[in-house]
Amino acid sequence: MTEFSPHVVLPFLLWDTLVGLDLVSVPQAMISRPVVTGAVAGALAGDLEAGLRIGVLFELFALDVLPVGAVRYPDYGPATVAAVALGAGTPWELGLGISAAFGLVLAVLGGWSLQVVRRWNARAIQRRAAALAAGESNAIRWLQYGAIFRDMVRGFTLTLAGLVLASTISDSIRLDRETAVAFTLVAIGSALAAAVSSASRSSGRGTRLKWLIAGLGVGIVLAVMR
Amino acid sequence: MNLRLFAVQGTWNYERMLGVGMGYAAEPLLEDLKAVDPVRHGEAVVRSAEFFNCNPNLAGLALGATARAEYEAVPGAQIVRLRTALCSPLGSMGDQFFWAGLVPALIGLTLIAVVLGARWWAILGFLVAYNAVRIWTGYWSLRTGMSSGMRVGAAIGSSWLPRAIEWIGPAAGFALGASVPVVAAWYLGIFGWAGAVGAAGVAVAGFALTRWFGPGLTSVRFALMAMVLLLLFRRIGL
Repeated sequence: MTEFSPHVVLPFLLWDTLVGLDLVSVPQAMISRPVVTGAVAGALAGDLEAGLRIGVLFELFALDVLPVGAVRYPDYGPATVAAVALGAGTPWELGLGISAAFGLVLAVLGGWSLQVVRRWNARAIQRRAAALAAGESNAIRWLQYGAIFRDMVRGFTLTLAGLVLASTISDSIRLDRETAVAFTLVAIGSALAAAVSSASRSSGRGTRLKWLIAGLGVGIVLAVMR
Repeated sequence: MNLRLFAVQGTWNYERMLGVGMGYAAEPLLEDLKAVDPVRHGEAVVRSAEFFNCNPNLAGLALGATARAEYEAVPGAQIVRLRTALCSPLGSMGDQFFWAGLVPALIGLTLIAVVLGARWWAILGFLVAYNAVRIWTGYWSLRTGMSSGMRVGAAIGSSWLPRAIEWIGPAAGFALGASVPVVAAWYLGIFGWAGAVGAAGVAVAGFALTRWFGPGLTSVRFALMAMVLLLLFRRIGL
């Protein structure tokens, strides 16, 4: 578990707020992908290995998300950061499962918070409907800034809640070694199921499926050689 | 390059979707119209912020095309129809290229590279590669939209995009396929055969159940349910 001193918490909050913004609002540079977020959070917590293990795990879950149109999906960015805060400093095979469980709940909460922000954005637009109908550029600008600010607050709040919960969980929940390992195995199995499910669904029955199978073959060879 | 396109989803909502973000990105493009025809400028601003939805990385095509149409004094109703007509193709092509192609392809390669020890280089490579493609696409889409105006549909059809969609899908399939066994071995190597079989059992059950139940049972819900079941089993001493 990461030590929650201000010099650790503040960079976490700053990084995670940026990650929260990146998912949808701005700039969508993919820093919110769990593998990126996890590595940076791991480095901030002084445990890169935990960051990568948790980041890659959440990345497998995130592959199952196709963020198109108005689809609702979990927000894995802030969830990954909070999960890394919980799992850092513990041997990964013991900490990964409980961190994943915590992170997944937070990811669902993050997804829900996105819906809330989107509804607030709609309300703000309704309030400025007359100005929009009159073609006032100022109204558009302030709607845009307001919405980005709301999303920033969302990311910040989610991270803060995540860090507080992580601190509480690490103080209150003690798993025996066997249960911790079983949790980790369930988390890994579920993440692999998500990745395979995503890969097979997006492949259909055409050329892409053939390439997927070829890739699986190459992957097995790489895994054996490693 | 219009940097405001990076924030085109800033005001995403269920009523106008990208609409207000498009209006924000259109503001500098429509600025010169204010001096030439202030009435037309006001109408153009209103149209620019109406309902719109597409993949954000291709929004420049619609933005550029409609901005040019405004300067060419194309009737407003025609511009509205163009915007509406562009929603589906730009959404579909952008999602196929970026979300179902480029992102999973790069993520698959990144995961393999992380596992093989490249770590920070892998992550940096992912960010540079994705953002290089994305920034170039943003530049290209705005330029193409501005230069083709109402003929933007033909310009998209004859561009690199449809061909790129054809090859990026298989590349994504290959990269994802290759990454799964590598990542699985990376995680399960230290648990021995018993652990690997246990995790594989969970994976098979997860795959089968999420396919069976469809959207009602997402991978996240399955994972959380499996963890709750595990806790219950441990509680009763299994």
